[in-house]
Amino acid sequence: MRHARIIFDGRELDIDIDANDRITTADGETLNVALDSDQITWLPPVKEPGTIFALGINYADHASELAFEPPKEPLVFIKHANTLTGHKQVSYRPDNIDYQHYECELVAVIGKTGKNIKREDALDYVAGYTVCNDFAIRDYLENYYRPNLRVKSRDSLLPMGPWLVDTADIPDANALKLTTTVNGKVTQDGTTKDMIFDVPFVIEYLSKIMTLNPGDMICTGTPHGIVDCQPGDTIVCSIEDICSLETRMVSEQEFYGDKY
Amino acid sequence: MNKNTLVNSKLVCVALNDKAQLAALDSTFNEAPYKKPPTQPVLYYKPRNTWNVDGAEIEWAKDMDGNDVDTMVVGASLGVVIGKETCRVSQADALNYVEGYTVVGDYSLPEETYYRPDIKGKCQDTTAPVGPAIVAADKVTNPDALSVTVSVNGEVKSELALANLERSIAELISTISHIMTLQAGEIIAVGFAGDRVPVAKGDKVEAAIEGVGTLRNTLGGA
Repeated sequence: MRHARIIFDGRELDIDIDANDRITTADGETLNVALDSDQITWLPPVKEPGTIFALGINYADHASELAFEPPKEPLVFIKHANTLTGHKQVSYRPDNIDYQHYECELVAVIGKTGKNIKREDALDYVAGYTVCNDFAIRDYLENYYRPNLRVKSRDSLLPMGPWLVDTADIPDANALKLTTTVNGKVTQDGTTKDMIFDVPFVIEYLSKIMTLNPGDMICTGTPHGIVDCQPGDTIVCSIEDICSLETRMVSEQEFYGDKY
Repeated sequence: MNKNTLVNSKLVCVALNDKAQLAALDSTFNEAPYKKPPTQPVLYYKPRNTWNVDGAEIEWAKDMDGNDVDTMVVGASLGVVIGKETCRVSQADALNYVEGYTVVGDYSLPEETYYRPDIKGKCQDTTAPVGPAIVAADKVTNPDALSVTVSVNGEVKSELALANLERSIAELISTISHIMTLQAGEIIAVGFAGDRVPVAKGDKVEAAIEGVGTLRNTLGGA
């Protein structure tokens, strides 16, 4: 089963989506609308977002692309809900920068509170999986708490969704094709098999340090194949059997409007 | 996560904002891996599992093998509490978005490097007490003139005059609000004394700012 949050017909709804793409609300109402309909506004799929953990250079080939040695332990940084936006929404490119790229990532969403979780039990704590695009602006990198908040904590630069897929429906989260297209052209073509630290490892690692809670998310990093994105570009991040996440880039001025 | 926390949704901390600390580390920051001193505020989050309250015990941290760590340290900061949505505000306008002030404690492992996000050092449960209360902004005439002291078992161990911060409160609010839209109840810890104070199991710690309050916590593990 898949789960999402949408605005439809002026109502904010928690929905389930079955194998035949039939949509049912939390109240048991069936919505007579197709998943690709423009009548649906997709919200980020986690209703009460907690701490968002993201991994840097967690694919060996991406590490070499960035001229880094693969890490010996996870490189983790933290993000908050201000960065989240939904499927078919916009993300912005700041003014006067040279290089902003997408990062298509598998996300594990925590469903149960836990501390000191063993790797072999870790998936019991995962409610489901989704896809995110953890944008980065390389111009803003500095060597202090890198990747710093100016790079990774900006409004709208973590699109996520459109939905969560139950953990039980994904027998092996490390055998999934991962692709990104920009304006329809494939720019990233990898597999979650190449992940250095998998979800159970990261859950064991993080939960040695701190308690994980429902609504926390773990974004697991991106493989080789990143390119610069410009306002007007449409970026689609897809992971096999999970979902495809579409984002349109806009300028900083278009995004902030009156507040620009 | 402490349900009585005064923090709503986000606690942003500013590292390396003590002028004396920056001067002392200047030559280090010109070498690898830093290569040059920071040009922007150095920010980190204390996530929700760390949020705690006045009077509460701070858990003694464990290492990755599950054993008690040898050393913990504490720093304290003025906490600036945001009063309404704060998006891309100017420095001149920034203090109009402040609802009030409080005290933020940051218990952690010693700060050994600033190169990577310090999740292993700073994200332990219960290590970010905030309080004892939020003092309304109109009761604090010049927040940049305040001074933060940290006492352990009744003895003053550290004092930082906010006049010695590299970046002022208004500048930080403006800069951060151009990175992320801040919401009511979110808190910015604007700066800590560069020398964090070592603490031991069972120590009683007071972080005090005159006119704002005294935040009292005890280290666990004793």
